[in-house]
Amino acid sequence: MRVGNGTRSGADTTYYDRPVLKEPVWVWQVPAYFYAGGAAGAAAVLGGVAQALEGDDVAGLVRRCRYLAVGGTVVGTALLIADLGRPERFLNMLRVFKPSSPLNVGSWILSAATGLSVGAAALGSRDGLPGRLGAAAGYGAALTGMPLAGYTAVLLADTAVPAWQEARRSLPALFIASAASSAASLLSLMSLNQREQQIVYRFGTIAEVAEIAAAKSVDKEVGRVERVARAYKEGLSGSLWRASGLLSYASLALGLLARRSKAANLAGAITGTAGGLATRFALFHVGKASARDPRATFDLQRQPDERGQPPGRS
Amino acid sequence: MAKGFFTDTTVCIGCKACEVACKQWNQLPDDGFVFTGMSYDNTVHLGASTWRHVSFIERPVPLAGQITGYGQFSWLMMSDVCKHCVKAGCLEACPTGAIVRTEFESVFVQQDVCNGCGYCVVACPFGVIDRREDDGRAWKCTLCYDRQKEGLVPACAKACPTESIQFGELDELKSKARERVEQLHARGMTDAYLYGADAAGQPGTEGLNAFFLLVDEPQVYNLPPAPTAPNKKIRASWASMAGAAAALGVAAVASVLSGRLSR
Repeated sequence: MRVGNGTRSGADTTYYDRPVLKEPVWVWQVPAYFYAGGAAGAAAVLGGVAQALEGDDVAGLVRRCRYLAVGGTVVGTALLIADLGRPERFLNMLRVFKPSSPLNVGSWILSAATGLSVGAAALGSRDGLPGRLGAAAGYGAALTGMPLAGYTAVLLADTAVPAWQEARRSLPALFIASAASSAASLLSLMSLNQREQQIVYRFGTIAEVAEIAAAKSVDKEVGRVERVARAYKEGLSGSLWRASGLLSYASLALGLLARRSKAANLAGAITGTAGGLATRFALFHVGKASARDPRATFDLQRQPDERGQPPGRS
Repeated sequence: MAKGFFTDTTVCIGCKACEVACKQWNQLPDDGFVFTGMSYDNTVHLGASTWRHVSFIERPVPLAGQITGYGQFSWLMMSDVCKHCVKAGCLEACPTGAIVRTEFESVFVQQDVCNGCGYCVVACPFGVIDRREDDGRAWKCTLCYDRQKEGLVPACAKACPTESIQFGELDELKSKARERVEQLHARGMTDAYLYGADAAGQPGTEGLNAFFLLVDEPQVYNLPPAPTAPNKKIRASWASMAGAAAALGVAAVASVLSGRLSR
């Protein structure tokens, strides 16, 4: 006979390796919206700035930015509604204003940005009062476009999913840079005059460089806990994350050749678009993988707190 | 008046009466008839249609003071439930205001408001709330709001034959629970401790209105060791977004102006 001494289980114990968190119930419409909404937001910003600083010289660019903003916000809204469990109740998002919920704040931002973008596109080229209202809507769309391009990163970070939560400082920069490069890639496919091409090219180059730097800082931030970083390295999510990085470099390199060759411009735009989509789908699958891994949650939470105390005891 | 659950796992016998009573009272649909092979647990986890879940842990280590005839072994059983956190991730994340705090301090989903966005599902640090596929809305334990309204004890606590699940006023429950821990310690079960009984012990949730007495690491029971309402860490993220959004504006201005200079 043995008398137990009350030994505790080992530190890496799990409950039959079952997840502790619920996997996100979202489907492909959500990362697709991240892409569409991001590109729309960045296009609205570029369009608004071009309208303010240059006016008629770049009227074509301003108009195309407005169309892109309308397309992205309208399609994005439709994607988000389709993802709801009860799509007919989508307006419930706006029955309260709730700063504690990034999804609620985001719904207000998206609603405002959609309305203003449609207003700017519909009225912007008119004369007289309607034209002035359209121009004002264009500035409004640019202002709402800034948070529209980035709030989705805060939305992911404000969850219990370790691989999202741990990227909370770097993810907004990545999403905004990716939004800008996505918008530039789409704009570079449109017919623009030389001046406008130059603006789009510079905007896109800054965005690509920022995207590469931001992705590196995401790796660094989540790398604090090995198990949390795993979703960025292994499986489908890891492959997508690596692909998005490679596509950023490829798009940047092709962009440097784009001014000499139409084919390079096209290839750069395609790789840029693919890179933008890969970034959003990578993050989506990173979250799913991280939620499935109980050790990501346990390892992160077993880190000593600020006072160096082990957590979870009273 | 704040009411809640104290679940004392040391007296749980794994009968699953709480699971059955909960299903019956709340008329919850089945969630698959799956044989898992994980000890006696075919329920697996809490979910949209499972609001009480008994976990079965077959430990290769003995309980303190326990005499085993053969080998090193002990059973742990725990009836898990929504924690009704004082600072609840799901409630703060809910964009429609469907999730509210009731007059009993419990966390309640108003099913006529929920639009099934799924954000509460990723906001819960315990993986409790989930969306029901055929229905599209998010569901979890109501702490038997309807029964409480009529002055009744929640179905699971009513059915529990060993009083492992105790329902009552939180202040009373907490002092009872602390007494129980002292009693167990005095008997040599020095591993006994309270999980989530107050904000000091679990600052991330500011305490749980459904707390537990455990005798092993939280993760053994599939509980997170230091759960935190996601919102507690999000200020840095908003600040970072504001900075990046400003940089986006600057990049746009620079792109437009640099074109002017090089003309």
